[in-house]
Amino acid sequence: MNYSNLTRRHFDNPVCAGVLGGATVRRGAAGSRAQGTWVQFDVQIGLRDQESTVAAVRFLAYACPHVIAVADWVAQQAVDSPAAPVLPESVHSLRERFEVPIEKLGRLFIVEDAWIAALSSPYREISA
Amino acid sequence: MTGSRNTVYLDYAATTPVDPRVAARMAECLTQQGAFGNPGSTSHDYGEAASALVEAARVQVAAAVGAAPADIVWTSGATEANNLALFGVANYQRESGRHMVTARTEHKAVLDPCRELERRGWRVTYLTPGRGGLLDPAQVAAALKPDTVLVSIMHVNNEIGVIQDIAAIAAVCAAHGAARLHVDAAQSIGKCPLDFAGLGLDLLSLSAHKSYGPKGAGALVVSRARGVQLEALQFGGGQERNLRSGTVATHQVVGMGAAFELASAERAAETARIALLRERLWAGLDLTGGVLRNGEPEQTAAQLLNVSFEDVEGESLLAAVRPFIAVSTGSACTSSNQEPSYVLRALGRNERLAESSLRFSLGRFTTEAEVDAAIEAVGRALTRLRRVSGSRTDR
Repeated sequence: MNYSNLTRRHFDNPVCAGVLGGATVRRGAAGSRAQGTWVQFDVQIGLRDQESTVAAVRFLAYACPHVIAVADWVAQQAVDSPAAPVLPESVHSLRERFEVPIEKLGRLFIVEDAWIAALSSPYREISA
Repeated sequence: MTGSRNTVYLDYAATTPVDPRVAARMAECLTQQGAFGNPGSTSHDYGEAASALVEAARVQVAAAVGAAPADIVWTSGATEANNLALFGVANYQRESGRHMVTARTEHKAVLDPCRELERRGWRVTYLTPGRGGLLDPAQVAAALKPDTVLVSIMHVNNEIGVIQDIAAIAAVCAAHGAARLHVDAAQSIGKCPLDFAGLGLDLLSLSAHKSYGPKGAGALVVSRARGVQLEALQFGGGQERNLRSGTVATHQVVGMGAAFELASAERAAETARIALLRERLWAGLDLTGGVLRNGEPEQTAAQLLNVSFEDVEGESLLAAVRPFIAVSTGSACTSSNQEPSYVLRALGRNERLAESSLRFSLGRFTTEAEVDAAIEAVGRALTRLRRVSGSRTDR
């Protein structure tokens, strides 16, 4: 399979891969390794002008190159945005941006589900 | 051997480059100064010259597999040979029996014709090999029925490289009396000795391009001594004992003959060298941890190594190594509609491991440096992907 340059760049060098720890980190995951796609986001929440914002994001993914690339891009783009359970860009826009085959759309929804799960989860102490 | 993008080629089981010595022989048949005549036009010297080369190639191919030259029927490759064998026997024997036996781990060039025969009313028994990939000849014996007309079993499996005990299976068929034995030997030539007449085989499929010959050339070996009868699948000229009409491609069969002659002459030294490289590759991969070797190692052809990698997703693994090495994945397709290798699934690997497997196939031009580069590339990919997935980063 051929991948776009953007996909290849984020897949080859996923700078946001990893985990975060601490009391201000929310964690959420979706999918399953057994089914072939699993994504987890750790989102560190900060306060700016009395508003909760995303201070840092790390992700883990057992997934195809498209999903890894999209998760890495989301993790980068979300920083400094409001801490809301909404992706920086819709799944359909992400699919176009990364030139993801239509049959893989369901995998991008797993990225979205993981993001929503993280931002909807209660705070709890997470060890990195 | 490296490609234009400096990727190491380790996909010799898919195809091989034509050996320069073979290419030189082929070139002699193409131009006005060469043997370009129609080998069927023996009313003049041009045709006679081409015909002589075709017959010389027939002798070379026959010698490589222990058959009589008259047994060789040229085809476009092993797929056509398999089709001719299966449909040819089925059609000829339709009144005496409509049952066949094969294995779930056969190449699609056998399985798909079997499916088509089932649609046309034949019954096919699909045997499941043991976890190492080997069939027990007793399984074949148990599957035979009074109306079994054909058993089709490959010699060397194209995905995992296990070598089936063809001699024992041939003995089982001989005891049955009516079941013909067809062997797909596309992966065997130059790697494993095969004695068509000595083993008492009825039909044998061969391919040139897996053995440093040209694509588009192959043969079905049909035993005259054993009285094997087939119905032709194509008509129009009566070439090849009326079994495969059409002008014989002189340069292709000359290339196949030259390739098979070289393969036979160099087999012992080449397989010994490649076996050492294969074990070097396995030892290096094994050090990365979380790797499982597929197929029974003691009964695997020297050129093939199939490995499943734990804790990495299959498509990502292939994408990560692709800039550095050319290998085949265990997955038949890397779209979201993934179909993990049916061979590995038949051997009991779970879906994830079947997807995250790579087939490394080494060849005549593989070097130690290339093997080391492959080990390094796979090791780097595994480390990165396992870090990204949060699994087994402490290896």
